[in-house]
Amino acid sequence: MRRALAAYARNPAALLGAVLVLMVLGMGLAAPLLFPQDPLGLAGRPLQWPGANPRFPLGTDPSGRDIMAQLFHGARVSLLIGFVATLVASAIGIAIGAVAGFYGGWVDTLLMRVTEAFQTLPNFLLLLVLVAVFGSHINTVTIAIGLVSWPPVARLTRAEFLTLRTREFVSAARVQGLGDIHLMLREVLPNALPPVIVYASVVMAVAILLESALAFLQLSDPNVPSWGNLIGLGRNVLRVEWYVSAIPGVAILLTILGVSLMGQGLNDALNPRITGK
Amino acid sequence: MRFLSLAAKRLAASLPTLLLILIGMFLLLQLAPGDTVDAMLAQMGGGDASIAADLRRFYGLDLSVPAQLGHYLWRLIRLDLGFSAIYGKPVATVILERLPATLSLMGASLSLAFSAGMALGVIAARRVNRWPDTLISTVGLIFYATPSFWFGLMAIVLFSVHLQWLPAGGFGDVAMGYTGWRAALDIAWHLVLPTITLGLIFLAIYLRIMRASMLEVLSLDFVRTARAKGLRETRIITRHVLRNALLPMVTLIGLQAGTMLGGAVVVESVFSLPGLGRLAYESVVQRDLNTLLGIVFVSALLVIAVNFCVDLLYARLDPRIGT
Amino acid sequence: MNRRETFLLAGSSLVALPAIAQETPRRGGVMTVHFATEQRILNPSLQASTGVYIVGGKIQEALVDLDAAGNPTPVLAESWESSPDGKTITFKLRAGVTWHDGKPFTSADVAFTAMEMWKKILNYGTTLQLYLTAVDTPDPLTAVFRYERPMPLGLLLRALPDLGYISPKHIYETGDIRQNPANTAPIGTGPFRFVQYERGQFIIAERNPNYWRPNLPYLDRVVWRVVGDRAAAAAQMEAGQILFSPYSALAISDLQRLGRDPRFEVTTRGNEGNARTNTLEFNFRNPILADIRVRQALAHALNIPFFIENFLGPFAKPGTGPIPSVSTDYYPAGMPQYPFDAARANRLLDEAGHRRGAGGARFSLRLHPAPWGEDISLFATFIQQSLSQVGVRVEIVRLDAAGWLRTIYNDHNFDLASGWHQYRSDPAVSTTVWYRSGSPVGAPWTNQWGWSDPTIDQIIDNAATELDVGRRRALYADFVRRAQTELPLWMPIEQIFVSVFNRRLRNVGNNPRWASSSWHDTWLAS
Repeated sequence: MRRALAAYARNPAALLGAVLVLMVLGMGLAAPLLFPQDPLGLAGRPLQWPGANPRFPLGTDPSGRDIMAQLFHGARVSLLIGFVATLVASAIGIAIGAVAGFYGGWVDTLLMRVTEAFQTLPNFLLLLVLVAVFGSHINTVTIAIGLVSWPPVARLTRAEFLTLRTREFVSAARVQGLGDIHLMLREVLPNALPPVIVYASVVMAVAILLESALAFLQLSDPNVPSWGNLIGLGRNVLRVEWYVSAIPGVAILLTILGVSLMGQGLNDALNPRITGK
Repeated sequence: MRFLSLAAKRLAASLPTLLLILIGMFLLLQLAPGDTVDAMLAQMGGGDASIAADLRRFYGLDLSVPAQLGHYLWRLIRLDLGFSAIYGKPVATVILERLPATLSLMGASLSLAFSAGMALGVIAARRVNRWPDTLISTVGLIFYATPSFWFGLMAIVLFSVHLQWLPAGGFGDVAMGYTGWRAALDIAWHLVLPTITLGLIFLAIYLRIMRASMLEVLSLDFVRTARAKGLRETRIITRHVLRNALLPMVTLIGLQAGTMLGGAVVVESVFSLPGLGRLAYESVVQRDLNTLLGIVFVSALLVIAVNFCVDLLYARLDPRIGT
Repeated sequence: MNRRETFLLAGSSLVALPAIAQETPRRGGVMTVHFATEQRILNPSLQASTGVYIVGGKIQEALVDLDAAGNPTPVLAESWESSPDGKTITFKLRAGVTWHDGKPFTSADVAFTAMEMWKKILNYGTTLQLYLTAVDTPDPLTAVFRYERPMPLGLLLRALPDLGYISPKHIYETGDIRQNPANTAPIGTGPFRFVQYERGQFIIAERNPNYWRPNLPYLDRVVWRVVGDRAAAAAQMEAGQILFSPYSALAISDLQRLGRDPRFEVTTRGNEGNARTNTLEFNFRNPILADIRVRQALAHALNIPFFIENFLGPFAKPGTGPIPSVSTDYYPAGMPQYPFDAARANRLLDEAGHRRGAGGARFSLRLHPAPWGEDISLFATFIQQSLSQVGVRVEIVRLDAAGWLRTIYNDHNFDLASGWHQYRSDPAVSTTVWYRSGSPVGAPWTNQWGWSDPTIDQIIDNAATELDVGRRRALYADFVRRAQTELPLWMPIEQIFVSVFNRRLRNVGNNPRWASSSWHDTWLAS
C-alpha cells in the first residue's frame, strides 16, 4: 500500500488530478461559507457580463442569479451526484458480476443476458425514459444514472471472479466448509476489488457527464444549482451571452479531468507492471 | 453461405435479449405519467374529454396493458412496427426517414475517431514519454473530459456565430434546392461540426487504447525478433505491430455502439439534426410508445450488427482465431 | 456586420419609408417561415392550434376571417344572417370557388365539415358546436346551421376565423377521417397549394394559379423550415434563410436583439387576436391554498412589473384578469387587483395561521410549470425566488407535456401550477372553462382546482346564450369581478405573441390574426 502511495506521489499527472479534485471538493465545502445566500435566489439584473458588476465577478444568468455562487454550490451537487451514482452502479455491478462469476452455469448465462440487454440499449436513452417515468428530482436522477451505469462494472467483476474462484486459497477455504456468502465476500471480493475501484473513476466521470447532459436537455432537477442546468439555461442566450454556458462547462471539464487523472494514477500505482515500463 | 448462417445464428442468439429489452421498455413506459393522447392534447392546445376518450379508443390505449403488449408482440412477429400516434404514419416509415442523418453522423464520427485515434495513438507510442506523447496524451485527456454538448455549443459560438465558417445546425439547406452531388456536399458541410462533437470523446478513448496496446505489443518478443532481423521500423509497425494493437480497438467499437447512439441524442439536439436520437427523445416526451419501441428495436439490431462485424473483423485480425 | 454598415442600413431604411406607400406589389419570390414545432396534422378543420394555422391557414380557408379593424370579413361565406331566436344561422357561400384538385366547392363541403369535423374532432370546435343539430343545404351555395339553443351571431363570427376552416367532402367522406392522407397533405381552396412535407426538415406550398381572388397571391412559394432550436432559428433569421418567425418562437433575448437591428421588425402587430395570459393555478385540495388569504398573500408577494421589466421586456404587461385588454368588446376595467405588497403578504399569511418557523419558513409548496415557453420557466423561477422572501418554500417540479397535463388536470397532484391561458376571440370559447365547475376529470385547461362556485357557473351559463351584446358585456364584467375576488387561479401577466419580420416583406401584420391568415396579398420586395 505504501509503495502504491509513493508511486502515486511520484506521478505528476496523478498529482494534478488529485489537486483538481481537491479544488472542486474545496469549492463545494466553501460554498455555504462564501455564498451563504440561496444560490438560486434573485441576486440582481439578469444577464450581466462577467466583470461588469463587481458584485458578480462571473456575471448573472438569465434568471438574475449569481453565476459564481452557482458554480461553487454546483461543485457539491456534481460531486455528490457522481459519488452516489458511482456507489449505486458499483453495488449493483459488483453484486451481479460476483454472483455470475462465482456460480457460473445458468445463473451466469441469465445474468449476462440481462447485462447484455442493458448494454445493447443506449444508456442515455434508458436514462431519458427513467427520468420521464420517475421524475427529475435529484435523488431520482442520481439513482437512475447509477441504474444505467452498472453493466461494465458487472462484466469486470465477473471476469475477476471467474479467474479467482479456482485459485487455491478459495478452494482451501471451501474445504474448511465456509459458506458461499463468506467465500464471495471475504475471500474473493477483496482480491477482485482493486481493478473495480480503479474503474469506479470512469463511472464517476461518466455519471457527472450524464447528469449534465440531462440538465442540458432541461430534464434534471431545477431546484439544485447544477452546472448542467446552467449550461442548459445559457443555451437560449448562446449567441450573445455565451459566458453563461461557457463558465460551467469549464468547471465540468476540469472536474472530469481531475477524476480521470486520479483514476489513471491509481491504476498505474496499483499495477506496477505498467509503471515500470 | 457460411457468413449468412453465422449471421443467422448470431441473430437467433440475440433474440432473447431483444425480447427482454422490448418488453422491459414497454412495461417501464406504462408507469410514466400521461400517455400519447395527453401529449397530443398539449400539442393541440386544448380539447374536451370526449375528444380524449375518442383518441384513446382510436389508438387502442383503452385496452388492458397485457392486451396492448400482446398486440404489439403479435404485430412484431409479422415484422410490423405499428403506427406512430404522433407522426400519423407507420413507424417503419418514420424511422427510415430519420435513419440517414444518424447513420451518416455515426459513420463519420466513428471514422474520424478511429482513424485519428489510431494515428495519434501510434505517434504517441513511438515517441513515448517525449513531448509529442505528452502533448497528444494531454489533448486526449481534455477531449475525454469535455461534455460533448458543451463542446458543440462552444463550436457553434466560435465557428458559426463569430467566424461564420460553418452552419450552426440542420441537415442540409432546403431552400437552396440542391440535388445530386451538390446536396450531398451540402449535407457533408452541415455535418462537420456534429461529427467532430460526437467523435471527440471516442477519439480520446481510441487514442488512449491504441497508445497502450501499441506499447504492449512493441515490447513483445516477435517485435524484437523483427528488429533484430533488421527490418525497417515503419515496416515493423505497419506489418506486425498495428495488426495486433488494433484488436482492443475493434473490441471497443462493438462495446460502444450503444453509447454512441446515446451520444447522438444529445448531439442531434444541439445541432437540430433530424436523426434517430432526436426522434427517440421526442417519442419519449410524446409517449409515442410504438415509435420508441421501434427505435429500440432498430438500435438494438444496429448494435448487434456492429458487434457481428466486429467479430468478423476480429477473426481476420487475430491469427489465433481461425480464419 | 460592423457599426458603419448598421448605420448605413438604418439610414437607407429611413429614406425608403415614404416610398413604401406608393410601391406596386412585386410578383414572385419565396417566403421562408420559421416552423418551430412539428405537427401531427396540417388540416385546421381538425386541429385548432397556431402550429396548424401557420401552414394549413394558407392552404385551406375558413367561412370568414377578420379584417384590419378586427371585424368579421367574408371569405368562403359571402354573407350571413341569424334568425330572431338565434337558433338558425344562414350562410350564403361564394360562387366559382374550386378545390386544389379542381372539384367545385359547395354547401355540401360546409355541412360535412361542420358535422363530422368541427362537432366531433376539432378541439374547441366540439364545445362551440355542442348544440348544433344539423346543417341544411337547400342549394349548393346556401348552408343553414340549426342550433338547439340560441347561438349569439357575434360569438360564432368571432370564433369562425379559427374554428371555421372547411375541408373537401369528396376527399374525406370515405374512410377514417383521422387517418386520411390529406391530413398531412391538405387540399383546400386557399391561395397556396400543398407540395411536400419532409418531416423534421421542411414543408413547401406553391402559388395556386386558379385562386378565386383575381391575380393573387403574389408569392410563388412558401417554405416552412422546421427549426426547433431557438438559437438556430435566430441565426437563420439573421442569415436571411428565414424571413418570418411567428408566435414568439425566438428566445426573449434574441427578440430584443433583433428588435434593435434595422433589417428586422419585431412586433406584436398582427397578433392582436392571439393574446395569452400567464397563469398561477391553485390546488384547493391543499387546505393551505383553500384559504383565500393565502392565495391573496401569494399574489401580493410577486412583483409583477419588476419581473416583466427585467425578464420579459416590452412585449408583456401586467394582466388584470381572465379577459385580456385586447378583447375590446368584453374587457372590463376597474376589477379587483393584487399589487406587489410584501408586508401585506406577510400579514395575510400570519393571519391565516402560518407563522414563520425555523429558518423563517412558513410552509412548502410544489410548483409545476408547464414545459413550453421560456417565459413560463423564467416565471416559475421568479415565483420560487419571490415566495421565499415571504417564507414560502417552493420546489419546482419539472415534467414533460404529457406528464404535466396528466398530473395537473387528471391526477390533481400539485400545489401550484403555472402555464398559459390562450384567449381565443371570445370568453365563451377559451376562458370560461377555466372557472366553470363540472368539467370531467382529465380535461386539460379547465377548472380542475377542486373549486366550484355556483355564482360564477350561473354567470357563465347566462352569458353563453345571451344574444344582446350589451347585456353579454355586463355579464362578463360580473364574471371577471367574481374570478378576481375568489381567485381560484390568477392571471397576472398579459402577453401578445411577437412576430419577427424581415423588412423585405410587405403587407404583413395587417389583420389581428395575420400569422394564421392566408397571406394572399403578401409580397416580397427585391
